[in-house]
Amino acid sequence: MQSVLYHCAHLEEPRAPLPPSYPSSFADFAPLNHLYFCEECDAIRCDDCVAIEVASYYCPNCLFDVPGANVRADKSRCARSCFSCPECSSCLNVLASEQASDSSRAATASGTSATHSSSAPYLLSCPACKWSSKEIGWKFDKPTSLASQLSQVYSAPEDVQAEFDALKDHLEGYISQSAPPPTAGKGSGHHRTPSRHIAQITQAAARALRREVPGMGGPRTGAAARRKAGEKSDNRAGWDQLAPYEAKDSWKEEGLQRGVDDVDTMRKLTGEEVAPIEKRWTSAWEPPRMSSETMPQRIPLQAKLTKRCPHPTCRHILIQPDTKTVRMLIKMVGGNYLPAIELGRRRRRLVDEALDGLTEEELERRRRERRRTRINLAREEDEDMTEPLHPGEVYTFQLAFTNPLYDPVQVRLGAAHQPRGPVQPSHHIFTPTAHFTVGPLKDAWAYDEEDEDDNVEDDAGTGGAAGHGGDSVSERAKARMSLAGLPSSRHRGREAEVEKRGNVTKVGLEVEVLPGASGPVEFDLEIRFTYRADDAEGGAGPAEGPGEAAVTGSGKDAKEEYKTFTFWTRDIRDMDAAVAVDGQPGLGLLTQRVWTSTRPNGAPPPGGIELAGPADMQKGGQAERDGA
Amino acid sequence: MGAFDPVQTFEKGTYIETDTGNKVSRKATILGATNIILGGKSIIQTRAVIRGDLRRSAPGQHVVISMGRYCLVGEGAVLRPPGKIYKGAFTFYPVRIADFVHIGADAIVEAASIGHGVEIGAGAIVGKFCIIKDLVQILPDSVLPDGAIVPSMTVWGGNPARMLSSLPETYQETIEERCKSYYQRFRAV
Ligand SMILES: [Zn+2]
Ligand SMILES: [Zn+2]
Ligand SMILES: [Zn+2]
Ligand SMILES: [Zn+2]
Repeated sequence: MQSVLYHCAHLEEPRAPLPPSYPSSFADFAPLNHLYFCEECDAIRCDDCVAIEVASYYCPNCLFDVPGANVRADKSRCARSCFSCPECSSCLNVLASEQASDSSRAATASGTSATHSSSAPYLLSCPACKWSSKEIGWKFDKPTSLASQLSQVYSAPEDVQAEFDALKDHLEGYISQSAPPPTAGKGSGHHRTPSRHIAQITQAAARALRREVPGMGGPRTGAAARRKAGEKSDNRAGWDQLAPYEAKDSWKEEGLQRGVDDVDTMRKLTGEEVAPIEKRWTSAWEPPRMSSETMPQRIPLQAKLTKRCPHPTCRHILIQPDTKTVRMLIKMVGGNYLPAIELGRRRRRLVDEALDGLTEEELERRRRERRRTRINLAREEDEDMTEPLHPGEVYTFQLAFTNPLYDPVQVRLGAAHQPRGPVQPSHHIFTPTAHFTVGPLKDAWAYDEEDEDDNVEDDAGTGGAAGHGGDSVSERAKARMSLAGLPSSRHRGREAEVEKRGNVTKVGLEVEVLPGASGPVEFDLEIRFTYRADDAEGGAGPAEGPGEAAVTGSGKDAKEEYKTFTFWTRDIRDMDAAVAVDGQPGLGLLTQRVWTSTRPNGAPPPGGIELAGPADMQKGGQAERDGA
Repeated sequence: MGAFDPVQTFEKGTYIETDTGNKVSRKATILGATNIILGGKSIIQTRAVIRGDLRRSAPGQHVVISMGRYCLVGEGAVLRPPGKIYKGAFTFYPVRIADFVHIGADAIVEAASIGHGVEIGAGAIVGKFCIIKDLVQILPDSVLPDGAIVPSMTVWGGNPARMLSSLPETYQETIEERCKSYYQRFRAV
């Protein structure tokens, strides 16, 4: 249940995302297991911002690794024997034709040698829908290298080939004079090269132009092409003076003829024969109109990707796949750096009176009262996470933080500082435990021993995180003391709500859905966690002494994270009819998104986090803290 | 991860626990048990059907189904070896299943091999002689045609199933942890 989403600020300065009432804000969120982490930049990276290079190409059906040099000539499709079904896109099997198998059976029965042309011709057959290439007359002499057999037998029609050659000649003249290929035997110094960039492009284009194109005739490296290049280079035309290309044939005539044919076909249509739209737009040349005209397609190649940090001065590799196995040689992923956050154990508070009809002040007063007396007020009812939430109810959840680090971390929850959204929030969020620690990750056997004794003591220390998560040494020292389990009297009464086990800490979260609310409930939460930075930056390294090293961790340890909690309700009438979730299959009623961003070293903490913020959810928590 | 996953309980005595930690329902149909190898810490749930009896026609002892560690054959799932006519005679071929393979409830699997860290959704049908490589997700209710080859790090779904997307680089950790966690949470009342 990966429902919590994390925020990636991409290449911008980390900042609070726009509130969830801006639909555009959702684009910057991803589940934790889709995120990367650049240690150099100390920043989250996501699939939308990483730089991507192809590490290797392979065919997903025959699993053959295709050398990068062949990929373009093969048009990024498998050049061996892998075809997809024109009807259902499954991979086609190569089968011996029925007549052949019959005859070979007859042959074995009559005792003749089985080597007799084992069972050619071969056909393509779909294992899923039983389509056969017999329907379009495709037959093969041998069961291997079907793609090359096909390109010899079934090449492009005459007029298409002629047009292609003409176009190639036209472009070749242009390319050879701006960036002559080595075969032309001329130094590039004779020619005007507008810029390195353009030259690279034209060289690549020249190479591409000389490459064999499957289905078309061989490359025209003959005298004609060379003569053309010679003529043009005398003229020394500018690189951008490409003359317009005139088609040899008018396609209008052809199109008209096809149109007439189509009208005839349509007169006889009964329904199923028209090619579905996805078949039509995947074929580049003349899209088939009728399903009987769709042909098997060679299977598109897949690629393994290398991913790099997008920062222009960084470019560190975040993902480096092994081309031979599923292992990753380099794997810098978010889950190894950021605590995993989950939401669960939903409970509904049982109250005697309805909240309907109360004014804003009355609601606020009740809220404060409830929070002051919450320890006594334990009348809650467990509820299923997938049930719809109802307006006017107060729910409590647990937020679970799982620490991926081998050191304890200290977590601080707060409201996200963001502009007020266009829509008033339909809910209030309150986190009774804003500071707590999460135990270190250990090997499984270590947890069993520790579970019995130390949890009590540990809990007592969790409230002591008075530090601002700032960068000063004293703050860090304080934080480290509380990590070591020094008891603190602040917020002590609340610690009962913290549940710890191993590297997981669960804290409470209160959601009050306002009366009359409808639509999704979404909110951002800023999560800042402090951990010990092993590798201090620059000169302030651990070499200065063990005592110092422990506290000079630099700004590396301050993170903020924004969390959005979402659930859907509909308008009040629908609400009683329960499950008004038809529009969201698979999501259930609760989706959460957590948005995370990290702060670069030395940057000041976002202003005013400790002060009352603009968000409504902040007020409750702040008042509580002030009063304590 | 999985901090709120509920414990999956079964009534005491309804499952047999082997020395290597396999948990096998007494209500599962397991035929030809001597031809089946379980790697340990794997679970075979109620109503599951495992056909170890469908063995190669050649004489001698044959392993029909081998399964690694932390695997799951869900409730009502059917696992049987694929068979075809070879040299004029019908014969079955063995099934190899690696570690961390979850086969969902009521799925039907006739694959030739299933790699490490594969999740087959509930109600899915995996056709004869399919080859599923390491780290793959087959969505619930999808139908893989006979002989389909499913490359690593991909998600397949639909009928007939197609490649829908690729898995994140973290998938290996995710699935291993999920399978281990499932095994640990699956215990007697
Ligand atoms: Zn990003
Ligand atoms: Zn970087
Ligand atoms: Zn292929
Ligand atoms: Zn088909």
